[in-house]
Amino acid sequence: MTPKEKLFSTLRHEPQSEAPWVPFAGVHAGKLLGYDATEVLTDADKLFASLMEVNRLYKPDGQPVVFDLQLEAECLGCELVWAKEGPPSVKTHPLFDENDPEDRVVPCDCTIPDANQGRIPLVLDVMRRMKAAAGDETALYGLICGPFTLASHLRGNDIFMDMYDDEDYVRDLLAYAAKVAKTMAGYYVEAGMDVIAIVDPLISQISTDHFRQFMTDPFTEIFDAIRDLGAFSSFFVCGDATRNIAVMCETGPDSIGIDENINMAEAKTITDRYNVALGGNIPLTTLMLHGNQQDNMKFTVELLDMFADKTNLIISPGCDMPYATPVENAIGVAQAVHQTNQVREMVKNYQRAEMDLSQVVLPDYEHLERPLVEVFTLDSETCAACTYMWGAATGMKARFGAEIDLVEYKFTVKENIPRIVKMGVQQLPSIYVNGKLVYSSLIPSREAFDRVVREALTTTSK
Amino acid sequence: MEILQTISEMLQKGKAKDVKALVQEALDQGIAAEKVLNDGLLAGMSVIGEKFKNNEIFVPDVLIAARAMKMGSQVLKPYLSDEGVKAQGKVVIGTVQGDLHDIGKNLVSMMMEGKGLEVIDLGVDTPPERFVSTAIENDADIIACSALLTTTMNNIKAVVDAVRDAGVRDKVTIMVGGAPLTEAFAKSIGADIYTPDAASAADAALSAVQKG
Repeated sequence: MTPKEKLFSTLRHEPQSEAPWVPFAGVHAGKLLGYDATEVLTDADKLFASLMEVNRLYKPDGQPVVFDLQLEAECLGCELVWAKEGPPSVKTHPLFDENDPEDRVVPCDCTIPDANQGRIPLVLDVMRRMKAAAGDETALYGLICGPFTLASHLRGNDIFMDMYDDEDYVRDLLAYAAKVAKTMAGYYVEAGMDVIAIVDPLISQISTDHFRQFMTDPFTEIFDAIRDLGAFSSFFVCGDATRNIAVMCETGPDSIGIDENINMAEAKTITDRYNVALGGNIPLTTLMLHGNQQDNMKFTVELLDMFADKTNLIISPGCDMPYATPVENAIGVAQAVHQTNQVREMVKNYQRAEMDLSQVVLPDYEHLERPLVEVFTLDSETCAACTYMWGAATGMKARFGAEIDLVEYKFTVKENIPRIVKMGVQQLPSIYVNGKLVYSSLIPSREAFDRVVREALTTTSK
Repeated sequence: MEILQTISEMLQKGKAKDVKALVQEALDQGIAAEKVLNDGLLAGMSVIGEKFKNNEIFVPDVLIAARAMKMGSQVLKPYLSDEGVKAQGKVVIGTVQGDLHDIGKNLVSMMMEGKGLEVIDLGVDTPPERFVSTAIENDADIIACSALLTTTMNNIKAVVDAVRDAGVRDKVTIMVGGAPLTEAFAKSIGADIYTPDAASAADAALSAVQKG
């Protein structure tokens, strides 16, 4: 079964012994190649290259092609403020007039974006390229701004008070936003997207009664439309929406995505009742952004271990990964999903309080006969990023032959753990040359690595 | 004072026009403005805050209640100054530079007003210097900063630093909040108070000014 089929099978609610992995690398994708958030969201080539790097390093079963909830709003006249390390934010709300807050306008259907408007052509172009390059193996997600969040972009915070002041207006505006979502879904499915995710973070901010009153109809309509298009669907929410999970399920998505504000086990008891798949919920800030690799692996293993039955379960970050998420953290999560048993052992071993390091003899780096390249990996046979890191190193060995020495230390081999600890290796995979860290997590280019080796050749004592 | 109870109940339902009329009626009956404020408006907001904290009500419900409070307060304002009633304390609030997300900040602001604090709301995308200069000009007790994004949360530290650089760190309590923040983060940047929700923020602000 290909990774894509594994995810499809989960979305068809078939029995599973393993959970698929969907890293939400939106602007974070750019970090892998040194592009900032604005660059990846406005330059098709940079976006495509970054997404391919996500595909290569994080070995996803499914991945989003772009994560920008402002895309539709921009087409509909919202002014955006761009950022280097995050998606843009909406600055102006065209349906809100400060001088006349009660002037409530629903845009004409003629304003629904066509496929040539704003950044839509860029996104469709990258979707088609991703489909051709990675679509056989990886399920691709097209993300759409949910109708409530889109309505709030257009109308501003007054949308909340409109829910009391003018119920018909809210219903009409949401019906319009749902048409926008259905139109976007059509474009994205046509461009090859397998899963359409409706991302509506604001759903956590309203009551279940308000959900039923205003949201049930537009969301049901959207998920029906996605089904008619022949694609799978997902409903992403952010924040504590525990109370609304049941009503979200009732709108008929194939899956729901939640963040760390919701207890995954509690949520799954609800989604299981509706036979809807549940994705989540690796904490974005405390763990992915600020934690280390071991923290991320440990959390993921424990998350997986919460569910003996992996049916209807997807492992993913709680939402769009922070731009600056250390690469090794996502690599660690990927490894924990793909090789859970081995990582469970690794994390257990890593945490052993007393480790006898006295038996580890490190090379005499000051007096080597030739440059020594040491590659520390989770396991080059199972971790994609490690495979490439090891591949970069064996490429150098092929080029320089007997002039250099090369060795791999896999974390999966128990005997290597004290060495990795004694070396002070913080992230895996890493490459050390003559005992010094030169590459960590990101795979070096052949040219750059070549220069490093040549430099080492001149400095290594004979 | 049945009318004060009714004001509280109407406020909780977000009936702004009724609250406005009832506040005027209470004043006309000769009830002191301070009593109308405390036992009518603030009592109602206190219930709203508690229910919001307990996930019994949500953003739309809080916003309409706060709007009702605002309309009632406008009627009361001249009477309160005639009576010499002062706010419990002053808070300067805003989202930090680069962050345009203000639902959370607005809720905190309303909850603080609901505790009888005077709130100076600087809106969104507020430069650190503006927090500091406004606090100094108005002799504020608290600066409250909010950030929704993981990228802008670091700009909260710039506010803490600016307060210190201006030499008023010991005069101002710095409160922080927003979805990606944690207690540990607040400590690490040298802020005084972190709260996870709007109602707790208002409680914490009130007790900070009362400690003085």
